[in-house]
Amino acid sequence: MDIFEEIRALTEKYPDRRGALLPALYIAQEDAGWLSQEALERVSSALNLPQATVKGVATFYSMYKHRPMGRHLIQLCTNVACMIMGAESLVDFLKGKYGLEPGGTTGDGRFSLVIMECIGACDRAPAMLVDTDFHSDLTEGNIVEILEEYE
Amino acid sequence: MEKFLLKNIENPASASLEVYLKVGGYESLNKALQMEPADIIAEVKAAGLRGRGGAGFPTGMKWDFASRDVKFPKYLICNADEGEPGTFKDRPILEKNPHLLIEGMVISAHALKSEMGYIYLRGEYPYAKIVLEKAIEEAYATGYLGDNIAGKGVGFHLSVHQGAGAYICGEETALIDSIEGRRGQPRIKPPFPVNVGAWGMPTIVNNVETLANIPLIVSIGAEKYAAIGNPECPGPKLFSVSCCVERPGVYELPMGTTLREIIYDHAGGVRGGRELKAVIPGGISTPVLTPDGIDCPMDFVNLPKRGSMLGSGAVMVFDDTVCLVKVCWRAMRFFEHESCGKCTPCREGTGWMRDILERIEGGFGREGDIELLQDIALSITGKTFCPLGDGAAGVVLGFIKNFSDEFMYHITNKKCMVNKDSQSAG
Amino acid sequence: MIKVTIDGRDVELENPVTVLEAAKQAGIIIPTLCYFEGLTPFGGCRLCLVEVEKLPKLQTSCTLMTADGMVVRTETDQIKAARRSVLEFLLINHPLDCPFCDKAGECDLQDLVARYGPEAGRFAEGKRRHPESFDDPIIVRNMERCVLCTRCVRMCNDLQASYSISVTGRGSHSFVEPFSGGKYNCEYCGNCLTVCPVGAIMSRLHRHTYRPWFVEKEIETVCGFCGVGCSMVLQMRENSIIRAIPRAEVGFNKGLLCVRGRFGYEYVESEAQLTTPLMRVDGELKQVSWEEAITFIARRLKEIKDAFGGRAIGAIASGRCTNEDNYMLQKFIRFVIGSNNIDSSARNYYAPAETYLESIFGQGITANLISGIANSDGVLVVGGDPTAINPILGLQIRASWRSGGKVIALGAPGGLKRFVAYELMPTPYSEEIVLSAIVGRLLKGKALSGENTAVEAKLRSLRIPSDEDMEVTGISPEDIARASDDLAGMATSVVVIGPDIIQRERASKNLFLLGAIAYLINARIFLLSERPNYQGVMDMGCLPDFLPGGRPVELEMFRHKIEDALGMKAPEDRGLTLFEMINEAETGGLKALYVMGENPLFNIPDSARVKKALGNLELLVVQDIHLTETAGIADVVLPATAWPEKEGTFTNLERRVQRVRKARRGKLASYGRDDWKIIADIAERFGMTRKYHRVEDVWEEIMHVSALHAGLGYEDIADGKAVWPYSGEPLRGMEGDFSVEGLEDLPHVQDSEKPYLMIERSLYHSGTFSRRSKALLSIYPEPYLMINPVLSERLGLAEGEKARISNERGVLELKVKLNKDVPDGQVLLSNTFEGFGAMGLIGFSTGPVIGSLYIRDNTVRVEKVLV
Ligand SMILES: Cc1cc2nc3c(=O)[nH]c(=O)nc-3n(C[C@H](O)[C@H](O)[C@H](O)COP(=O)(O)O)c2cc1C
Ligand code: SF4
Ligand code: FES
Repeated sequence: MDIFEEIRALTEKYPDRRGALLPALYIAQEDAGWLSQEALERVSSALNLPQATVKGVATFYSMYKHRPMGRHLIQLCTNVACMIMGAESLVDFLKGKYGLEPGGTTGDGRFSLVIMECIGACDRAPAMLVDTDFHSDLTEGNIVEILEEYE
Repeated sequence: MEKFLLKNIENPASASLEVYLKVGGYESLNKALQMEPADIIAEVKAAGLRGRGGAGFPTGMKWDFASRDVKFPKYLICNADEGEPGTFKDRPILEKNPHLLIEGMVISAHALKSEMGYIYLRGEYPYAKIVLEKAIEEAYATGYLGDNIAGKGVGFHLSVHQGAGAYICGEETALIDSIEGRRGQPRIKPPFPVNVGAWGMPTIVNNVETLANIPLIVSIGAEKYAAIGNPECPGPKLFSVSCCVERPGVYELPMGTTLREIIYDHAGGVRGGRELKAVIPGGISTPVLTPDGIDCPMDFVNLPKRGSMLGSGAVMVFDDTVCLVKVCWRAMRFFEHESCGKCTPCREGTGWMRDILERIEGGFGREGDIELLQDIALSITGKTFCPLGDGAAGVVLGFIKNFSDEFMYHITNKKCMVNKDSQSAG
Repeated sequence: MIKVTIDGRDVELENPVTVLEAAKQAGIIIPTLCYFEGLTPFGGCRLCLVEVEKLPKLQTSCTLMTADGMVVRTETDQIKAARRSVLEFLLINHPLDCPFCDKAGECDLQDLVARYGPEAGRFAEGKRRHPESFDDPIIVRNMERCVLCTRCVRMCNDLQASYSISVTGRGSHSFVEPFSGGKYNCEYCGNCLTVCPVGAIMSRLHRHTYRPWFVEKEIETVCGFCGVGCSMVLQMRENSIIRAIPRAEVGFNKGLLCVRGRFGYEYVESEAQLTTPLMRVDGELKQVSWEEAITFIARRLKEIKDAFGGRAIGAIASGRCTNEDNYMLQKFIRFVIGSNNIDSSARNYYAPAETYLESIFGQGITANLISGIANSDGVLVVGGDPTAINPILGLQIRASWRSGGKVIALGAPGGLKRFVAYELMPTPYSEEIVLSAIVGRLLKGKALSGENTAVEAKLRSLRIPSDEDMEVTGISPEDIARASDDLAGMATSVVVIGPDIIQRERASKNLFLLGAIAYLINARIFLLSERPNYQGVMDMGCLPDFLPGGRPVELEMFRHKIEDALGMKAPEDRGLTLFEMINEAETGGLKALYVMGENPLFNIPDSARVKKALGNLELLVVQDIHLTETAGIADVVLPATAWPEKEGTFTNLERRVQRVRKARRGKLASYGRDDWKIIADIAERFGMTRKYHRVEDVWEEIMHVSALHAGLGYEDIADGKAVWPYSGEPLRGMEGDFSVEGLEDLPHVQDSEKPYLMIERSLYHSGTFSRRSKALLSIYPEPYLMINPVLSERLGLAEGEKARISNERGVLELKVKLNKDVPDGQVLLSNTFEGFGAMGLIGFSTGPVIGSLYIRDNTVRVEKVLV
């Protein structure tokens, strides 16, 4: 489906077109996994907003990606609670196991890893999001099992 | 205490309208729709409800300001950005009891004569988005949302607006900028959102938990509500307890429950029976307390007296295996990452402090670093555009004040006092 | 009344203002960085912190409003310490490359650190690194130096409304960037340069050659590019302009300039500037002395006058020359030679349109203040893009939009694209039908006021198009209804008229319709002016039918008055217009033509025909600064001084008379001469006795002769606040009846297989002048054929490929540029580049009623050039 139309439809929810910018960026990002210049151009023309303005907004929020991402995005929390509960060793583990550096993507394009600030799961730390799925109480043991579910 | 905010959440289908209705859901709304808007506001005022988002501003007073403004439309925004590290208290409401929030919002909207509302939901809660959107759909289908709610001629429309990873968007004016599709940076106040908010119109921003308290106030009345917990800031309160305790989780307890009770009676005490070393009572932005502070009642009145704040009620418990220099460094990394960049002291100061903390933690601290950190923190305090910068400075000042020996140890011995063989900041 | 105490001084305020502003009124300057007058307050830098009694924290004075009884302190130890710490924070990531930075000496950060410290920073970690960006030809961006005050972004978004830059990223990773991350691709107004407090955004024109202390003198003058007439300051070193900058305190443009004004000035330093008179000897132009040239011209003019009478001689005045220059040319031709054959390229559209509208509504109907547009609640734009033709006027339209005004444009909105309420894109040449329909709708159910009976009588017989008639326009009756109702709902509206709607076969009808709309909705009318002094040309009487002061030549009463004042006689019947002169030259009726600062061979359509006509003349004199196309075929060429080389006045489109001041000497001081002086010199050979020593002497005569300028001395003009009529006689009233073409019918709009060639009026160029400006060329370096993607697809022509356009007038081959804003059925070409002027492929006639140029036979065949 054309994201242009989808974005246009969003504007219904807001008193002006600009209100739909954040959700529109999500739609564009979902389409290609990241926000290329072309994607930003699409959003800007769908909402009739200046391109520079769209870029300014898109780069302010950390969940919009400006580089191509792997097929699956691992968003691992390392904030205080997760850190205390061992998130750092998980980062090292992912490096060893998949060659996955924070901010990087595996060679086969399967995973990208992004380090997150608190994702509100401190009671079940350490925790991560894989795409939109939430996983908690992670250990070096179960993280592999979880990730292997994602092709 | 009987649970209200988290009532019924053990039921796996608690999020459904069907289950919610079974346990008396939307009865408060039906009652509120018989009431005059001004009377609801008076009731909320009399109940003494204070905002659960962190600042503790009296909700009734905010509503009163907003209702005095005669510009329309008015927007009602639920702040579900829950970004304060250590905080996960709104999440069970959002994911398991969404109709309570919707009911609270519809009542509030009726009281405030608002016809349009948004739930500003943090991007990190994709599941909550699904739940909320489904609940909203159900509410529309059964007439609890729409142009003629419960047939009473009251109209309110609600939708979810998803944030995208910016802690500062929890601050209400930045949140409004974000809803408008802008870079979420705080706005100059005054004018306050209650007069000039989203799209220039009067806007009321309340936390999830605050709004979820509204049905209770309507249902039991101000008087009974005011009798729950500390009379100066009454009501049930959600506490998120995390880190080194046996049973981390969200606890619904009366406001004013002491830290000791929370940690030991409810969360099962320090994990493995270890020694308590430090507690952050209200989320990472609130100054750390030493164990001798844990008899302090957790509320908006008593914690400030002890040099900290209730914040979002996120209790982070550290035992003797935790390196506090490292915690302080990690907290600062968070602030640096989340500083919106609008004002100089926060934008530049957080990074500088993180640099220094990183050095100290990694075993490269220098003499004078502690004084320098304090000086930077004081240069930030009171000079930033919004409280984020103050929070960052307060954290450093709090850790240094209470645990300066640990910082000194790192600097002089070039290693950690707790994990003596580890040197790296990771 | 609000009373506040600042540093012990009591300040009384009429209205609540910020503490910063109140302090300024009390003479106390609070240091600031992110604050900039005219921009929306930001409050981010935290330098302007002050202490306010009863408030626990320090407050930013740039955002805090004063309240009665407030007690403020602005320089306590606590505040000084706070400022020092803010500056220390700012220096963390600042490169401290001051010796290498062009901003040194006028850098706010440098000045503030000098005042508050710190003497030494304690930051010992790694600084942010970011390479300088040289992606742009005229702007260089150095984000290491940026202090994130966001002044540039607020300027770009809020005042220029170009929205080309934005802060990207967050926190300490924030950068100011254009969308591309590299090249700006913006309007290149350079207003961001004005506001950048440090050396983060700078001009490349004088990179590493400019230091503020190199400036030897600053000359306040008026821009020479368009009819808005922005004030600017030329900063001079030796004989060179090193920078053209606006000053917020001077001029109504309040610190804003457009790309041409700010960067275009260096055409005057072009190698191509003429330095010596040239005369045609054996078919070739040879260098001669002034004496030789002047004697020759005087002798030939005399001979021609004696043989054929004064009416065989004509002159073309210039919208680029000063009032004084034009006045002198007019005086010479009219009173010395005895011919009313004087006109200018204002005939293309500006002069006939103004004259016609004045005949309907009275003199001065188009004289309205530009700054007023911002306060209007609605703007109708027809006939051209104001943001390209008159950029600073265009900004006022954007400002009106910002404060809620509705902008409606008929045709391609150009730089107003983002601001128009909706698109109204009529098919080529169908505007007349659309305007008639709008008038029809406005008339519906509205009682006429009876104020202007002539207009109302004509409105009654106007043919209102039916829905069927509308079909050819491509605009639906619903759109007409919406636009008309929007117009009817405006309380303080503006109608902006550009050249394209006037250069039409039935110009009078179009103008009448626009005038009628303005009449019905009570709008003020603005006529866009491509040249800095079209208005002055008219006011000075460089028109075949009007004397100085806009008095009709054929009315004895007026003529006598001026004749008496001068003690000289003028012919009593009207002279030839520019086009009539060309016709007469073609048929042999006109023998000599004196051209001052104009290039008819390039600037009038059908260049080949014009060239032939001018070739027929017995004498063609061209006075200019470059060897233009016209100068190339002249018998005598006289080098004149350029805009920053002379003194005088321009009159802008709102009738503001402003001083042009001399900043530099001409290329070879002994050669180039002021236009008015050259002409006075020739006139003296004819026995003109009045001597003029200085340009003021010319002005004094103008003051004396022109009813519009009576009592307006140079000293009154000096501050740029003089708008005519200054004092003295009243404006002319309406002249009774007027005629309108085709009131009762509708034009026959025909579909053309081939696209119409239209003139691109680019923001980056201005006639043939700008082709000598390196800066403007770096943005727009060569001629392009602008085509829209639909056509490009049809012809298989990609961006950058070569197209051949042709018709019976000629053939051009040039690169194609894709532009989705080019309307269907049209291609655009500028009239700027030598050998590639659009006018060469366009035919023309003149409208019977108002005598303006109308463009015809302008379809072209477009093909891809195969290589
Ligand atoms: C930096 C910062 C972050 C904040 N984050 C949140 C948040 O995540 N959720 C929230 O409800 N309030 C947050 N707040 C508080 C809001 O600004 C605002 O006070 C609150 O939403 C008001 O609702 P309440 O009165 O119901 O508490 C934050 C404030 C600041 C200064
Ligand atoms: S303190 Fe300043 S930079 Fe930090 S988040 Fe608030 S406004 Fe932004
Ligand atoms: S000038 Fe006031 S905060 Fe920058």
